[in-house]
Amino acid sequence: MLAWRNLWRHGRRTWLTVGAMIFCNALLVFLISFQLGSYSMMIDGNLGVLTGHLQVQHKDYNDESRMRFSVPGGVELAQELRDHTGIEAMAARGLTFALASSEERSFGIQIMGVQPTFEPLVSTLPGLVKEGRYLKDNAAEEIVIGSVLARNLKIGLGDELTFLGSGRDASFAAGIATVVGILNSGMSEMDRTIAQIPLGYFQDVFTMDASVHAVVVNTDELDAVAPVKAQIQSELENVDLRVLDWNELQPGLKQAIQADMFSAFVMYAILIILVAFSVLNTQLMSVLERTREFGVMMALGLHPGGLARLVLLETAVMSLIGLVLGCALGAIITGYFQSNGLYISGMEEAMDRYNLPGRLYPQLSALSLLAGPAIVFIGGMLAAIYPSLRLYTLQPVTAMRAV
Amino acid sequence: MSRIFFSALLLTLSLPGAAQPDAKELIEKAMDMWRGLTSYGEMTMVIHRPDWQRSMSMQSWSEGTENTLVRVTAPAKDAGNATLLKDTNMWSYAPKINRVIKVPSSMMGQSWMGSDLSNNDISKSTDIIDQYDHRLIGTRQEKGHTVYSIESIPQEDSAVVWGKEILDIRDDYIMLEQQFWDQDGVLVKSFKTLEVKEIDGRPVATIMRMQEVDKPDQWTEMRVEQSQFDIELPPGLFTLSNLRNPRQ
Amino acid sequence: MADHPSLSIGILITLAWRNLWRNYRRTLIMLAAIVVGVWAMILFSAMMRGMLDEMVHAGLRVLPGEAQIHHPQYRDDPSIANSLDAPQGELLQALNTPPITAWTSRVKVPGMISSERDNRGVLLLGVDPAGEIALGFQRENIVEGRFLESSEDKGIVIGRKLAERLETQLGKRVVIMSQSPDNEVVDKGVRIVGIYKARLQATEEFFVYVGRSHLQKMLLVGDQVSEIAMTADNYQDVDKWWPDIAAVAGAQTSTEPWMKLDGYLNSMLEVQGNMNIVIMVVIFMALSFGLVNTLVMAVFERIREIGLMMALGMQPLWILYQVLLESLMLLALGLVVGNLLAAITILPLESGIDISIVGEGLEMAGMGSMLYPTLAWQDMLMSTAVVLVLGLLASLFPAWRASRYNPTEALGKI
Repeated sequence: MLAWRNLWRHGRRTWLTVGAMIFCNALLVFLISFQLGSYSMMIDGNLGVLTGHLQVQHKDYNDESRMRFSVPGGVELAQELRDHTGIEAMAARGLTFALASSEERSFGIQIMGVQPTFEPLVSTLPGLVKEGRYLKDNAAEEIVIGSVLARNLKIGLGDELTFLGSGRDASFAAGIATVVGILNSGMSEMDRTIAQIPLGYFQDVFTMDASVHAVVVNTDELDAVAPVKAQIQSELENVDLRVLDWNELQPGLKQAIQADMFSAFVMYAILIILVAFSVLNTQLMSVLERTREFGVMMALGLHPGGLARLVLLETAVMSLIGLVLGCALGAIITGYFQSNGLYISGMEEAMDRYNLPGRLYPQLSALSLLAGPAIVFIGGMLAAIYPSLRLYTLQPVTAMRAV
Repeated sequence: MSRIFFSALLLTLSLPGAAQPDAKELIEKAMDMWRGLTSYGEMTMVIHRPDWQRSMSMQSWSEGTENTLVRVTAPAKDAGNATLLKDTNMWSYAPKINRVIKVPSSMMGQSWMGSDLSNNDISKSTDIIDQYDHRLIGTRQEKGHTVYSIESIPQEDSAVVWGKEILDIRDDYIMLEQQFWDQDGVLVKSFKTLEVKEIDGRPVATIMRMQEVDKPDQWTEMRVEQSQFDIELPPGLFTLSNLRNPRQ
Repeated sequence: MADHPSLSIGILITLAWRNLWRNYRRTLIMLAAIVVGVWAMILFSAMMRGMLDEMVHAGLRVLPGEAQIHHPQYRDDPSIANSLDAPQGELLQALNTPPITAWTSRVKVPGMISSERDNRGVLLLGVDPAGEIALGFQRENIVEGRFLESSEDKGIVIGRKLAERLETQLGKRVVIMSQSPDNEVVDKGVRIVGIYKARLQATEEFFVYVGRSHLQKMLLVGDQVSEIAMTADNYQDVDKWWPDIAAVAGAQTSTEPWMKLDGYLNSMLEVQGNMNIVIMVVIFMALSFGLVNTLVMAVFERIREIGLMMALGMQPLWILYQVLLESLMLLALGLVVGNLLAAITILPLESGIDISIVGEGLEMAGMGSMLYPTLAWQDMLMSTAVVLVLGLLASLFPAWRASRYNPTEALGKI
């Protein structure tokens, strides 16, 4: 009660401090949401190219990608999984090393057998075909190649490409396909080595029978990865198969994000320290200038402990207001950008090259909403300790004489 | 004078039962025996795995130690596929793509036609003579024949992964076994002759098996059906154009 | 002013100063706020700068170098057919002249490596070890054996993971195989003389080092190389000198700076740089809130005092100036102490903070396990300028309000 009235006696000062807290909290909510949102985007962007969020593979395939470590009945399995999980974005793939040859030279390439209808749902590559078209028919002897490979082989749309490699039974495998599309991903490694042919054709040339090397799954959100993984794992009856998540498929990605988080934490820490300092400042001043008042109260019998509690209570009330209003403000701002996207100049073209959306969408979540403000609250309370401790050193008589 | 002396000395050395024969020579003679000056053969290659088995029939021609041509005749899926070796270079031809491709270094480690022999194994089979140092390590008697065991150690700069090879060569120059040992002294794989028959007046290894020691259920066998040695081969046999358009 | 010639600036300053120290506790608190704010800003920018630098340097060590020269088709088709002649004449001279501090040439072609039990596709690097080390190869990465001793060294150095995959060890022989420019298969047996570790396992499985001359002999390319790499130890100034090198290298070659060679690194640098600016702005804003807060409070709590001064005849304008002056002094003092504090704390840390405790995740992400904060006078200047400007602006409002007081009202307040 007393605490409340005390606060409002120095309304302006109280508001300034609370204002600082609100600002800081709102900022933290927005920034953390933004950070998490951009991480999602980074991860999705990276995985969306080729890896996908999950893959079903032969249990040894991720370690050693040998042709014979295959997933039997892959196309059927993919359809079953689609039906049972309701996720359309699943595609079966075959993958092997092969040689593409021109007159004098051979170039090592990665040939992927893909399902033309489903592959565009799990990978951005089909959308990066800049000349010609993507694959359509599952059995057609057609091929889509990277722009650098086309350059190296000196071929273009409509030309024939000869490729040879080893089948699943290690036998000699070879084929001639017509180039129907040339893709430009902007990543030279990929444009130099990737070639895609329809899965049916792949299985035929490389003696795969009905098997594939992976079923790639794209979940809509990162949060969905763990539950979907568990679901698929329970559906798999074959003990030789495994579901791997993107962490296992691309080990470096998570760490790159962790590094970024580190620098962000440093910044948050500094922000919070500044705000805590502000609180310390305010409360200290408030204590100092109410020295006389406190002196009177102590003379009237109030224990230093009671005074300390008073100060702490005041701080708590201020911090709480700061927390609530800050969270609210932060949520509103973040919500706005979450629907409309944040636009930083230059990003649009940079992203476009990789077939990624050009805007950043912060993501509000329980974590991003509460984490920052909670720590500010704690920091504020901690900061109030020193001023309240000083109360114990007050001598009622000297205090009452203070100005 | 000295030449006659040396030839006599050599003759003495190559007679069975004489003083210890020269290891390197034994190997050279075994190679000669296997390939002849020229040869033609018809054989079946059987590839055995725990859950399946495949066979391919093929014809092969060789000239000296450097030229070899192999053409698959059956089954239909593989018929017409051919491999040409000249010195250390290897070319592949497949009628399905109607192209001759030179096998680049990146494919040399791949298995040849799906068998347990790699392209490298096939193209370097006669390298052992010059790239290694040989010495005789033992003799034994087996089924009326003297068998010589030779230890071959690769020279320092040789492009060979093995720690050593041990070859068992019979007194009639049939290579009974070629063992491949790693650099820690562990046997990795072996190429064994399982049957010897006499064809065209000379002993021929008719069944040979390549097998990795720690995979007993996996092997490749070459079963020779027909063999002719030192015949006359048409000129231009070992050329790229012949590889593509066989006149033979 | 003409009415009170005795009230000169000098007196104002003295007054301001004494005012500050009359309530030293309050002043100290405000000072502390400013010092902490300034220190935080400088520290943050130093750390960010250090991190960015480290990121770029790590990337440049891998390329290696700040600029590279290749055969024009090499980047599309990195085979031995697209090789360069070893540098000579003018180019050689240019490479040995400042600003270039180090350079090396390497043969870099795809090949195969085989052991008794496995064979894999790798990238064969024929190098001059002294040159590699000058451009960033770190000797500490060798975990067994040694690095190559010269470009004639006949040994090979492979990654730890590769040794594992090939089931081979230090001291054993392996065979490397590739193609000559005439498409002949060429190979050689080499002994493993060293094993290295790298940030990513994929790196360890892919890059193998042999002596440059040794590899050139195997590939039958005489003196030719795949790549000439150089550095001037200042990644931000590369645009000043790489065109000159390009001119000297000639039209049959292609010279490119690291920004083009590693577009990803370059864009990361830009993005991070922009993010840093955003972050700095945010910190300034947070600081200014605190600053305004304290200054406003300071003024308001001296209402009675100000009322007294006005009653005694002080002009409102002078009150304004005085408050501003006090602010200015406070800010100046805070800035000096803040900058000093920053310098004192950061400079010793410049030799590196060990952040490996934070997790090996950072190491994988290219940050290494050491953070080197870098103190730059530009950062200090900027922080100082901003704090000064913000601080004065923040004091403007309360100062103006102060000058508007009605003395009687002011005196009556408590």
